[in-house]
Amino acid sequence: MKYFFSFLIFGSFILLSCSDSNSVENNINNGGNSGGNGSGNSTWSIDKDMVFDGGPGKDGIPALLNPNLINVINASFLSNNDLVLGFKDGDQIIAFPHKILDWHEIINIDTDNHSIAVTYCPLTGTGMGWNRIFNNNKTTFGVSGLLYKSNLIPYDRATNSNWSQLKLECVNGTLKGKKPEVSVLPEMTWGEWKKIYPQSKVVGTNTGFSRDYLKYPYGGYKTDHNFFIFPVDPLKNNIPAKERVHVIISNTNAKVYRFNKFADGKVFVDNSFNNKTYLVVGNQNFILTFQLDRNTENLNFAYDFNNSEIILSDDEGNKWNIFGEAVSGPRKGSFLQYAKTSMMAYYFSIESFYPKVIISN
Amino acid sequence: MSKFYILIMFGLYTSPTLFSQTCCSGGIPLSNSIGLPVANKGTLQFSLNYDYNYLNTLKSGNDKLDDQARLRTTQSILLNFGYSITEKLSVETLFTYVNQKREINQFGNINIDKTQGIGDGVLLFKYNFSSLFKKDNLLRVGLGTKIPIGATDKKSKNGILLNADLQPGSGAWDAILWSSYSQNFSFRPSVTFYASTVYRLTGTNSKYLNNSTTYRFGSEFQALINYTDQFFLFKTLINPGLSIKYRKAQQDEIGGNLLNNTGGQWVFAVPNISIQITQKLFFVTKFEIPLYSYVDGTQLTPTFRFTTGLFLTLDKQKNEFFNLK
Repeated sequence: MKYFFSFLIFGSFILLSCSDSNSVENNINNGGNSGGNGSGNSTWSIDKDMVFDGGPGKDGIPALLNPNLINVINASFLSNNDLVLGFKDGDQIIAFPHKILDWHEIINIDTDNHSIAVTYCPLTGTGMGWNRIFNNNKTTFGVSGLLYKSNLIPYDRATNSNWSQLKLECVNGTLKGKKPEVSVLPEMTWGEWKKIYPQSKVVGTNTGFSRDYLKYPYGGYKTDHNFFIFPVDPLKNNIPAKERVHVIISNTNAKVYRFNKFADGKVFVDNSFNNKTYLVVGNQNFILTFQLDRNTENLNFAYDFNNSEIILSDDEGNKWNIFGEAVSGPRKGSFLQYAKTSMMAYYFSIESFYPKVIISN
Repeated sequence: MSKFYILIMFGLYTSPTLFSQTCCSGGIPLSNSIGLPVANKGTLQFSLNYDYNYLNTLKSGNDKLDDQARLRTTQSILLNFGYSITEKLSVETLFTYVNQKREINQFGNINIDKTQGIGDGVLLFKYNFSSLFKKDNLLRVGLGTKIPIGATDKKSKNGILLNADLQPGSGAWDAILWSSYSQNFSFRPSVTFYASTVYRLTGTNSKYLNNSTTYRFGSEFQALINYTDQFFLFKTLINPGLSIKYRKAQQDEIGGNLLNNTGGQWVFAVPNISIQITQKLFFVTKFEIPLYSYVDGTQLTPTFRFTTGLFLTLDKQKNEFFNLK
């Protein structure tokens, strides 16, 4: 009996000493070539010392794939002040709640004409859609578990390459240097959204994953301007770090629009950035920017939001909705193009990625 | 020294882990060997333990979530040395070596990150007040510190700095306040009732994430009660026992801000047994089963823990470990 116990002890220590040599199995990523808290390879186009392990690990925050969509009337888990991102593909209009994205960060979804990954970073408040088709091959995106400047690093499952969401570029792996094709997703409160698009669909809580979607997972993070989980350089501009702002990004430049300029609803033309002409429209609830071209820059726009999908009218008699679509008037069916790569964000993240950021007056 | 102290040895040494390094409960069980028994002046004590902590239970507050995609394991070797300076005063040290693994089994892939290395150590001074009480009681108090000798800059194989939870060390000095009380009974002298408390006041790692911010594991309190009896089986002295352990951990802090999804309260049942192999050598093992937990936010929480090891005492005097008359 005594020898048995001695053997048991000895065996335990052997177990520990052997534990570092996991057997090789298919699909096991052991922090090596393609998995663990690693990357496609060790070469990064960004400062690797500023890339941190977020804690949950690769796929520890599970991205969704074509989740269950429910009707607006059934989305009782959302309250009016909750934020959603919107996407429209023809007659398909879908809301992606922050309450779901806070827990999953990426929703891969296929609509009639598009395959996009809705990528949302809870720590920078940035959400956008990425085309999932590269070189005629469709992939999905997952959450790498890594962060760069507090911002999400998705990885594509086709090549295991890591992408920086806010840098808008693949930063590690075989696709390094490639830019994502971005879809702008308007962001507004659920209260406004459901009035505008009561017939739309919304991602529900039946995601296939057991999470408490009524809980915000980051405590006071989104309202405490001094609360950072990962290091952030001191801000040069006197804007609260977590203030939600609208931003247009162009290469290494960015321009920010603040809600305090839009309190009662406003539209104006801004041609002082990036040698382009932008139409900026917003109120206390949303800000959107469209890039005007030869066919649209001669129009005179007016703010025309009245709790319907229409936000703009013009002197031709057209009415435009939040997706930039002319829903009535002589140009019905045509689109204003969103400012390429525009989104909402916590201010600090923009200054962190784009130090030359311009603040709109 | 008397059989009285020896009884305490069994009740005490089969007591379970008293704190762990990280608030997700996945860290090194530094105190697995803290609280070595009272011994004669000049006695040397050694213990060598293997600890396996398996966390595969995801909880949100009180609710268990139906998700077993995440697995966190910690395997530790705990080496303890104790020395009785006088009949009243003793000192003990603890050295650790740890192998930690985070495994995500999701979407048909298994992603693993792991670290191993020397963990933090402990230095603890203890004083017993046995003379203040009647014969069958013993009160001891201890004051110590956790020494941050473990690495805090471990990286993944691809060179990405891993977070605090996966580091072998905490990068901070902690203060440890320890106490224990034991009692045996005239109606059954082989029985020992043992209780202990530990409060760990944590320090701050000021060099977290490449010196860019600070990290502080949450301070914690633990209380434990243990009931042990002893008997002979096949001419071998057996000491089975059962402990109930309560642990409360505060939230971790990063950059001075409370970090969600850390901290909570747990209650464990800990069946344990020690077996005398030779006059001075014991086999000790215990199994820790969670009975209740409330975690802050959403966390992996212990599914089970297993600890086993050997305890050796080197004393010039002959020890009498059987307490029955």
